[in-house]
Amino acid sequence: MNDETKKQINQRYERQLDKGERFWPDTIFKDLIMSLAIFTLLILLATFIGIPAEPKADPSDTSYIPRPEWYFLFLFKFLALYGQLPIIGKIEWLATVLIPGIAIGVLTLLPFIEKNPNRYYGKRILPISIMTIMVTGIILLTLMSEVPTVAEDGSKLLGTLQTLVGIFIPLTAYILFFAFKSNTRLMLWTTSLAVVSMILISGTVLALAPEKQAEETEVATTLVDQIFAGQDLYSIHCTECHGDDGSVAVIQGVEGLEGEKITPINSRDVLYTITDSAMYEVIAYGRPNAGMPPFGKTYGGELSRSEIDYINVFMRYMWDDRFEIPAEALKPLFPPLATGEVPSYDVHIQPIVKRYCISCHRAGKENNNYLMTTYEEILFTGDNAANNIIAGDEGSYFLQVIQEHAIMNPEKPEEELIGVMPPNRALKPNIVDVFFRWIMNGMPQTAAEAQALSPTPVP
Amino acid sequence: MWNNIYNWLDERLGLNDMYTNLLDRPEPKTTWWNTLGSASMFLFIMQGITGIFLTVYYTPSPDHAYDSVQYIMEGVAFGWLIRGIHHWGATLMVILVFVHMLRVYYTASFKYPRELTWLIGIGLFLTTLGMGFTGYLLPWNQKAFWATTVGTQIAGTVPFLGEFILKSLRGGPELSALTLQRFFSAHIWIIPAILVALMGVHLYLIIKHGESHFPTKED
Ligand code: HEC
Ligand code: HEC
Ligand code: HEM
Repeated sequence: MNDETKKQINQRYERQLDKGERFWPDTIFKDLIMSLAIFTLLILLATFIGIPAEPKADPSDTSYIPRPEWYFLFLFKFLALYGQLPIIGKIEWLATVLIPGIAIGVLTLLPFIEKNPNRYYGKRILPISIMTIMVTGIILLTLMSEVPTVAEDGSKLLGTLQTLVGIFIPLTAYILFFAFKSNTRLMLWTTSLAVVSMILISGTVLALAPEKQAEETEVATTLVDQIFAGQDLYSIHCTECHGDDGSVAVIQGVEGLEGEKITPINSRDVLYTITDSAMYEVIAYGRPNAGMPPFGKTYGGELSRSEIDYINVFMRYMWDDRFEIPAEALKPLFPPLATGEVPSYDVHIQPIVKRYCISCHRAGKENNNYLMTTYEEILFTGDNAANNIIAGDEGSYFLQVIQEHAIMNPEKPEEELIGVMPPNRALKPNIVDVFFRWIMNGMPQTAAEAQALSPTPVP
Repeated sequence: MWNNIYNWLDERLGLNDMYTNLLDRPEPKTTWWNTLGSASMFLFIMQGITGIFLTVYYTPSPDHAYDSVQYIMEGVAFGWLIRGIHHWGATLMVILVFVHMLRVYYTASFKYPRELTWLIGIGLFLTTLGMGFTGYLLPWNQKAFWATTVGTQIAGTVPFLGEFILKSLRGGPELSALTLQRFFSAHIWIIPAILVALMGVHLYLIIKHGESHFPTKED
């Protein structure tokens, strides 16, 4: 750029300044309004959308689908599409290093690449076209970032369409630009065509995309939620051996560990000597020699890091006398029954079963094929389903075993058919009472059905 | 009396000079597009303020990071608001800086005499992304952990140097306590220091050259 042009530029700028405004207060005023608007937007976002809760990092959980921060999603998508290309798709660093490197390099050196002094749009069709296509691509790739490239049925249609948007159309347009050289009209046409077709194809992809299933990762954020989450997990995974309150000293009713003597885990012996991180290890790794299986995903179990933490929180607050349990966490398992009131599955039975029985009565455990995870299962599964739950019959096997009467085998009277339930510890009388009233009154499922059966309607 | 104080201060600080040099400057007619730069700066300041509050409770160790963030959300008065603003501010800042860059690109404001402003701007853009990348790991939740795992993996694909870059980012072959410590330090000291320095030069250059006018047919 020679001195003559520089002088012209500076003169033009002086003329604009003469027609212009003052920085204070004119320009600043707009800036302040903008900042205020942004501030308000931030407060609204923080208040009404907030930050979604996420489970704690778990390095062992390799099933987690990693996703970068949203503004890198387009790059991620680009890499995935690029990886599908034949031959060069295998050379990873071309896409991870070279292409972004060139993009940033060109952007950095822009003032030295676009050296002409022209600023008016009409004189800058080429740079504007290149950037417009690039930005369109970035936005569309971000929008499509969740769409898989290979559909469930193996069809590659979606992947091909995305590659058109993310790679082929922009590339073709760029090649055409250099073929057209200075024909700005053709360039504008190419740009419009490219942008429109990219948008249309992306729209098709989004319309065809399989509906995204909302991932349900329940995250307990408050202490009380964590205690409840821990309680549920404990009930499912640990009650079997340690009992619902951790007091079991001799294991009963568990295959292979019958009669095993263990330290009650609600005792000070255990709680005071095992620190939080050691407790994590005990639960994650188990006590393989003593017979406790590993629960952590790292060691082949089913519990994530957060879940084990919840169990620990539950055990601490429930049994460790150095922790004070929040009052809300002590709410009763089920609402107490009035005289004559009939309990329902939804309100009473389900929480009790979840706490005391599910640990053994779910798939994959020894339990005479008696599963208890749903209403139907409780009524109709089990080797002795025919005699198990009979409406209005005190002799129902179910009612017998929970009242500490084992059922003997009718063919071989000296052999036990079903032991007492739960095997490790008798149920409290008020819980037995709930089961009793429920079966004697015909096992209602919902609260409304139960109310209809109650002789004295509860107000 | 206020006059006296003002005059006393003016004699030592040069308040009047500041007023004429910094505030009472002529500008070409500006539009709303010209507010994006100062809006980015406003967001950076907000990030600084809320970020400082967050460090009061945040602990950068794998054992405690998650719980300390949880505590900020549940236990600290208005912690959710502070973290919410910081979280959304980060997102918004990336968008604003990017759109600001686009506007400078489309109006060709990077041309003579503002080439350096643009160069510094690229530095600002990259450091802003760096802030996002390092900050994302700090809550030490699943999303953070795995996003950083892939992020650093991508950096590891650089030919020849990849291995070295990956290890220096992670502080070892795997993500660990060292990674978190490193990212934390980068997020609250190293990158903000660079950002502030760059921003200072950026602003100096803007004041020196004035904002460019919207291009007209004769430009
Ligand atoms: C299959 C049976 C079984 C299951 C299920 C089980 N444990 Fe254990 N657990 C044991 C045995 C056996 C021991 C060894 C007891 C001993 O050595 O005193 C034990 C020991 C423990 C100890 C004490 C370790 C020590 O060093 O004293 C803790 C704490 C514990 N278990 C927690 C749990 C938790 C929490 C769960 C549920 C996630 C669970 N266990 C599930 C069988 C089991
Ligand atoms: C420690 C594990 C364990 C727990 C906890 C447990 N059960 Fe069982 N349950 C078994 C096993 C094992 C059987 C198979 C019969 C046997 O070996 O005694 C069984 C069988 C039964 C049967 C007979 C099913 C059939 O069709 O033969 C009933 C009814 C039953 N359990 C009810 C309960 C109830 C109600 C609870 C909760 C209050 C409960 N169980 C808790 C282990 C358990
Ligand atoms: C943290 C990020 C940034 C901050 C705080 C910032 C701040 C500002 C401010 C306050 C202005 C003047 C007002 C305006 O025109 O909007 C400005 C102008 C400018 N910025 Fe930035 N900026 C940032 C990032 C960038 C980036 C990423 C680029 C480009 C790569 C860039 C290039 C420029 C240029 C060339 C100007 C002069 C524009 C003109 O005179 O019309 N800036 N910036």
